[in-house]
Amino acid sequence: MATRHDDDSATVIGESMLIQGNLQGDEDLHVLGRVDGSIELQRTLVVAESGIVKAEVTVKNAIISGVVVGNVHASEAVELTREGRMVGDINAPRVIIVDGASFRGNVDMGDVENMPARPPRTERPRVSAPAPAPATRSRASAPPAAAPKSEDADATVEVPAPDAGTAKTKVQIKPPSGGGSSPKKKPAFLDPPKARGLPKKGKKKRSRVVVKRK
Amino acid sequence: MANTVIGSTIVIDGEISGDEDLVVRGTIKGRIGLSASLYVENSGSVEADIETENVEISGSVTGNIRSSDKVELKSDGRMTGDIKAPRILIADGAVFKGNVDMDR
Repeated sequence: MATRHDDDSATVIGESMLIQGNLQGDEDLHVLGRVDGSIELQRTLVVAESGIVKAEVTVKNAIISGVVVGNVHASEAVELTREGRMVGDINAPRVIIVDGASFRGNVDMGDVENMPARPPRTERPRVSAPAPAPATRSRASAPPAAAPKSEDADATVEVPAPDAGTAKTKVQIKPPSGGGSSPKKKPAFLDPPKARGLPKKGKKKRSRVVVKRK
Repeated sequence: MANTVIGSTIVIDGEISGDEDLVVRGTIKGRIGLSASLYVENSGSVEADIETENVEISGSVTGNIRSSDKVELKSDGRMTGDIKAPRILIADGAVFKGNVDMDR
């Protein structure tokens, strides 16, 4: 009969908490603090933006918005969100790595040869507030390549080039709005070089030609 | 302040430290070090040495407690181990076996 009764079915590791050791259970786990050791759950692990997990992780689902160092085995899905950073191997039938996430390691989705091509399922394990949706939409106008939080990204975590990632490790790299926005975004070098002070040169040249014709 | 909850199906074997309140509904074995309050609820079970500011026990605790403020053993609390704290409250109905030290 303690004073707090918030949410009966969820475990929360608060921001200032450090757990060193083994953690196992049969309910959702939200990590806002830090866990070192191992995590074994029959449910979903949510690593919040402030969360740090340095552990062998065996779960059903994992949603990573913070930092994970260690291998993740999931019986269902692993999702690295825009803010997620991870070093380690992922072993799960479904792996989702969103644009902006940092990841280094191997991905194993099982027997790729015998896998039927599946349409992306719409329902995903989602526990927290649906904040990412509006955020990704607004990013369409932002510069496409820059990682959103590169300044505080862990120095050891590097985003692999998207092409290499798809080719070698069969990672599904999902553009924020399903790829529909990619044709609209022109790479910077295709645009007329207004910003580089070159247009003046171009005008001069043209005027020179005109003079010759006269 | 966001507080930490260890749900009823969770088992932690190791060490927990931090400076926010910790609510235990599951099982913790090892060591707990907090600069805040520990609540062991009815379903909670702690087998650990505990060092905190406050402890409130409605579940079961095995281990020694050293608290800088207060230890409260509620009526459905069960505890085995030594308690060292300036204020110690044991409610009617609580089960306790161990040594009590209220030296300030």
